[in-house]
Amino acid sequence: MNSCLTILRRLKFSALLMLLTLPALAVDLRPFDAGSLAKIRQAHAGRPFILAFWSIHCAPCKTELAILKSIQRKYPKFPIVLVAADDPAAKAAVIRYLEKEKVEPMETWAYADEFEERVRYSVDPQWQGELPRSYFFDAAHRLTAHSGIIDPAWVETWMSEQNSAERK
Amino acid sequence: MIKLLPLAIALAALSAIATSTSTAADHSGHKMSGMARSGQAELGATALFDAKGVLWAAHKDTGHIVVSYSADLGKSWSTPIRVTPEPEETDTGGEARPKIAFGPGGEIYVTWTRKMTTPYSGEIRFARSLDGGQTFLAPLTVHHNRDDITHRFDVMAINRKGQLFISWIDKRDGIAATKAQASYRGAAVYFAVSDDQGATFRGDFKLADYSCECCRIALAVGIDDTVVAMWRHVFAPNIRDHAIAVLHSDGTAGEVRRATYDDWKLDGCPHHGPSLADDSQGRIHAVWFTQGEKNQGSYYGRLRDGGVELQRHIGGQASAHPDLAIIGQRVAVAWTEFDGERSRLRAMVSENAGESWQEHDLATTTSLSDQPRVLTKDNRFYVFWNTRNEPRSLTPIP
Repeated sequence: MNSCLTILRRLKFSALLMLLTLPALAVDLRPFDAGSLAKIRQAHAGRPFILAFWSIHCAPCKTELAILKSIQRKYPKFPIVLVAADDPAAKAAVIRYLEKEKVEPMETWAYADEFEERVRYSVDPQWQGELPRSYFFDAAHRLTAHSGIIDPAWVETWMSEQNSAERK
Repeated sequence: MIKLLPLAIALAALSAIATSTSTAADHSGHKMSGMARSGQAELGATALFDAKGVLWAAHKDTGHIVVSYSADLGKSWSTPIRVTPEPEETDTGGEARPKIAFGPGGEIYVTWTRKMTTPYSGEIRFARSLDGGQTFLAPLTVHHNRDDITHRFDVMAINRKGQLFISWIDKRDGIAATKAQASYRGAAVYFAVSDDQGATFRGDFKLADYSCECCRIALAVGIDDTVVAMWRHVFAPNIRDHAIAVLHSDGTAGEVRRATYDDWKLDGCPHHGPSLADDSQGRIHAVWFTQGEKNQGSYYGRLRDGGVELQRHIGGQASAHPDLAIIGQRVAVAWTEFDGERSRLRAMVSENAGESWQEHDLATTTSLSDQPRVLTKDNRFYVFWNTRNEPRSLTPIP
């Protein structure tokens, strides 16, 4: 009986704790540094995924985000990894933006290393920082890079190729 | 329950720590609005030699826009002189940095972009010193439009009559078009002119519609009372090559002409603006960055109507953020190349107005670094480079 009460109390406490910390947990913003892409690729080993870089300071990224959201709605299980290429000091603003945009279930990351060039180089030495920048990894992790807003029709074709490849 | 409260406070405190790297000087808190700053955001700096050969830098220090001076070619620097009365959030990293210029009577002018409330909004601020940099008068906002929108990437030039030109990227027309459900490419370039050493500004004069939203503008002093501007434009439908136009002190502007022809089709932000300078024969030399269909990388070229002369790739594949300066027919270009660990500061010099070049390795850093700027003094070229490990370094080009 006592232990039951303790469990109940604990449940209450954790529920309350969740409520208290909910604003912080609404967006799970993971720290992206020079080692992160390797981990992301490992987590999606043998599977295709989209890696998309954006910034709160990039107006075209808003359009890109809307396209990614519609792709995600159509393919809810397809992994889309969003990375905010913002100064780590802008983390609060990034979280506010993502909360408003409701990008779940996309994975959300943000630069955690203020040495932006180093992080960028770890992703792609050819990339000079233009945004939005997206990478389409197929199941073998051969990648197609794209600068600027993605063409939804192109993405649709690419997605269907990945899906048919997965079914084989 | 009792145990929970401290935990909640601890969590709140943790998140406060996570989003703040404030220093002791930030505590006045004005305009900081809880946002933290980091190294890269603080590194944006420019420098210029005054008529006596003293090097002056505009940069950020403990939340303030400040100037510092060095009488020994950057070996030692004065204590920073505050330009902003209070610390404030500014655009001082990447493509944005405070600027410094000198008026004909030894006035010191500083411009910068103060952030406003919404993301990528800002206002162009200006302050001047009339006592040789001992004190700065209260800053003012250069433009009359006070909307909480983009007025960013300030740039400043003094024409041959001593009139002060300030230009910036402005989104008012793009926003008006969106409201009217009309299409509009990118942003606009505006400018203002002061005839009274920065006491007041006439404006806001539109230089051009359809500029890129996120790249620095370049200005050079033109003939007569003009100033020449070069910026990344958005040519229909989405070609982000460069344009050039003449600014007149009466607020009119010359025709917008295409300056570069790399065909970079991009619905995005390059964050990579040009630089330009004119030589003793009035020819315009420029450096810029592109990932166009025709060319990819950093480039130098001489701009003429309908094309580019002597266009050549600058440095290695990783070359970025080139700048240039000219002494007569001698042209110097500096840029950085990052190799995964180090940023290399490199330069190339032409003794014959861009016909042939000699390359030089100047410096390296493993720390954060700003974009380099080429300066001239006594017929010599120097590169000003603000890095975390060596703030406001000055390197002569051999």
